Amino acid sequence: MRTVEVLFVIVILLGAFVITTQFAVLPSPSQAFGTNLRELSQSTLETLDAQGTLSETVFKDTSDPAWGDLQKAISASLPPNVVYNLSVYDLSADSQGVITYQLANSISDAGFGADSDASSLMLTSPNVTFTQDPQKVGESTGQPITLYILNCSDANGWWITGYTGQSLASDLYGLLSPYFTTTVLINTTDQLGLLLENSTSLEGTIQNAVVVNTFGESVPIPDDYCDGGSHDDEGFDPSHDVDGTYAKYFHTLGSLTRQYNWTWVSIVGYPFYYVTNTEYFVSDQNTYGIYGMEDVRTAGVNAFLQGLDGASYSYDETGTASGVGVVQLTSEALELCNYYGVYPAPYQTSSRALTQSIESNYHLDRFATVFELKSGRIAGATFRHQDGSGALTAIGLTRIPDIRVAALALLMYYRPTIYRSEFGASGTSRLVTLQLGQQGGT
Amino acid sequence: MAGATIDHIISVTILIAALLVAMTTYNHMFATAVDYDRNRQVATKAADLMNTICLSPGNPTDWGETDTSLLGFGLQDPEAGGYALSPYSIMRLRASNSSGDSQLVYYSKTGLYYNNISANYGNSILIPIGDCVNYTTATELLGINKTYGFRVDITPTLDISISQVAVSPPHNHLILKVEVRGSGLPLSDATLNYYLFQVESGGGGSYPSIKAYSGVEQTDSSGSVLIEFDEVHESNDPYSFTVYASLSGVNGVGHYSYDTVDGLELVVPFIQDFDQGTVIIAHSFDVHNYTETPVPEVKYNATFFVLNQNFQLQEVQIENSTGHLVYGEGWPYFTTQLPASEVGLLFVSYRRDANRMGSVILPWGIGTLGVSVSFGGDPTGYDFVATELRQVIINGISYQVKVSAWKLGS
Repeated sequence: MRTVEVLFVIVILLGAFVITTQFAVLPSPSQAFGTNLRELSQSTLETLDAQGTLSETVFKDTSDPAWGDLQKAISASLPPNVVYNLSVYDLSADSQGVITYQLANSISDAGFGADSDASSLMLTSPNVTFTQDPQKVGESTGQPITLYILNCSDANGWWITGYTGQSLASDLYGLLSPYFTTTVLINTTDQLGLLLENSTSLEGTIQNAVVVNTFGESVPIPDDYCDGGSHDDEGFDPSHDVDGTYAKYFHTLGSLTRQYNWTWVSIVGYPFYYVTNTEYFVSDQNTYGIYGMEDVRTAGVNAFLQGLDGASYSYDETGTASGVGVVQLTSEALELCNYYGVYPAPYQTSSRALTQSIESNYHLDRFATVFELKSGRIAGATFRHQDGSGALTAIGLTRIPDIRVAALALLMYYRPTIYRSEFGASGTSRLVTLQLGQQGGT
Repeated sequence: MAGATIDHIISVTILIAALLVAMTTYNHMFATAVDYDRNRQVATKAADLMNTICLSPGNPTDWGETDTSLLGFGLQDPEAGGYALSPYSIMRLRASNSSGDSQLVYYSKTGLYYNNISANYGNSILIPIGDCVNYTTATELLGINKTYGFRVDITPTLDISISQVAVSPPHNHLILKVEVRGSGLPLSDATLNYYLFQVESGGGGSYPSIKAYSGVEQTDSSGSVLIEFDEVHESNDPYSFTVYASLSGVNGVGHYSYDTVDGLELVVPFIQDFDQGTVIIAHSFDVHNYTETPVPEVKYNATFFVLNQNFQLQEVQIENSTGHLVYGEGWPYFTTQLPASEVGLLFVSYRRDANRMGSVILPWGIGTLGVSVSFGGDPTGYDFVATELRQVIINGISYQVKVSAWKLGS
């Protein structure tokens, strides 16, 4: 009886073994890898085109002897047990922009077995030059806009750790100047004074201009607007804070932004938190050891927004910005990153996001929202007054600043068109695929 | 009762036997699976190593052009990108032979050992061993120290062989046969840019000079071509011949030289400072164990040729281009300085007497003379070695890079 039971057990064991071996078909350990044909193919295409030879050949007529040379060159490059098929496709686009691929030529040396892989390379004709011309901001309305970048040598930055205002100005110039008819660097606070006074001695057109403050949370201030200066009634408020405050200067900036229809850009941090002038505030520092500046704190942005709103100055210390942590680019921003070729990290940390209530308090409309709103706060956007006069672009991110975010915000706001050569135009681009197969053992 | 006991014994015996058979079979299956998985890890590691070595310039990115210590290992040319390797970084690798051993050269007048990257034609790139990156450092920087072994073999794609063709009297001029082969196949219709530098005595006791011949030829259907030099005597005139072959994006280089110094190579160039491009020109008796007495004195003439992207050689003036080398203590070596950022060939012609002359070439950048380099450990004895193959460009010359990887320990 026991023997019969054991025989049952053995039958079950054998059955389990047979079923297992049916399903668990393990390859031989030596088959753990084969030649990486895709990478070999990719490197072959790239090296053949290293000096542009492949690009020249694939655009030639199929009867040209260069095709025969290419065949010999590929055969000479690949190991003897590797066979290939090189196919060239012509790209063409119809009126609706739909691109089609049509086989232009194909060369090969043998048929393929089971083991093959391929890679491709897009080649452009050596006879075609692709260009990319941006439309100038304001060009479509017949009113070209001037870009003023604050590059004051007598000012210090804050919340721009790792950079100086001047280095950021240089980077910004490189990023944005192609989009503006005129770009002017404001190199001193005295020159900034000329800008504020609408002086004709400055290059460019002050009306409708874009003014970018590259000094982070601090804003350069001319001597004349400091206590004791000829315009100190427009810059200094002696009746508030301990020894007076420069919140009034920011009210003046807001009013001028409204008057001249500027777009004022704060590239990072809490907007209008300090004023800076290294010659006037020689012994004043921002409590973090950065001399040449004095704090205005939370009253600064409120005063600016009052000025932008056309309201009279009223000292207001209400906190308008605070941290919301990690924020992500809006889908609109991501799309325009591709369009303009500007790629900041899609996730950023915001420690100075403006509250949404400023829109109703100061009659602002929000445009070009860079980051998704979080907790009722806006980490990056452009706020234009409902009168259509003046705007503020504020990027409330933490340091270290990424100047590309500010550039993206401006481009999102103005949306200049980029005129590109058509890559899909017939005869300008060809797709080359090289399929490799391995014959024999690995 | 006895029947039940026997029944139990038989059933238990059969059961144990069945279990043993099943366990053995499953063990074999598991072992196969474990081996497969381990081998796949090695194959993946080989691909990772290949990508790191070929597609990363290392850190600092220009480490191949300086004497600075290395923080990250990679051989990509930082200026070219893609599958282009730096001709300089490869020169700083402590080369090894097929057994993974290094071949060092000692020069008594500097007291230094030099890494020896040998070209196929007897010429060498000799770099102070202290400036080279060794295998252990590379494995540490690649994060595989004591876990994986690897080896990199960098070889030219095209094989160009050159031989002298015998001529029958009354003819005595030089005829060279150039044969270009790809991957086992002759390469027909390849364009050849060639340069022949004939070493001339210069007369009296003066320094040797060179007379240059250059031209363009094309290989025939058998991948070969005969090139004749009517003004060069086939056996009396020493010369150095370099040819660059190209066809549809595949490029190679070949070299051949002929000396009249009875088999003794009398001048050895050493790289003294990689950063500055300074080169020592030494008497070979201070380097090799030659025994001839009296030791011959040698006069040399050094010329540097920059190789441009069209495979044209352009002569560049260098300091101490001529010198009188004497063996032994009290006789210093000469130094010259090359334009370190330009790849090219340092051509040193030398003269023992009016009838015995020769030449030696120091390639500055390994691609200029199609030098092969092997770097890394010896895979011999390991059960499973994964290999990766890629095509690369080194200063315009087509190369193939093979990376082998294997698992260390059990």
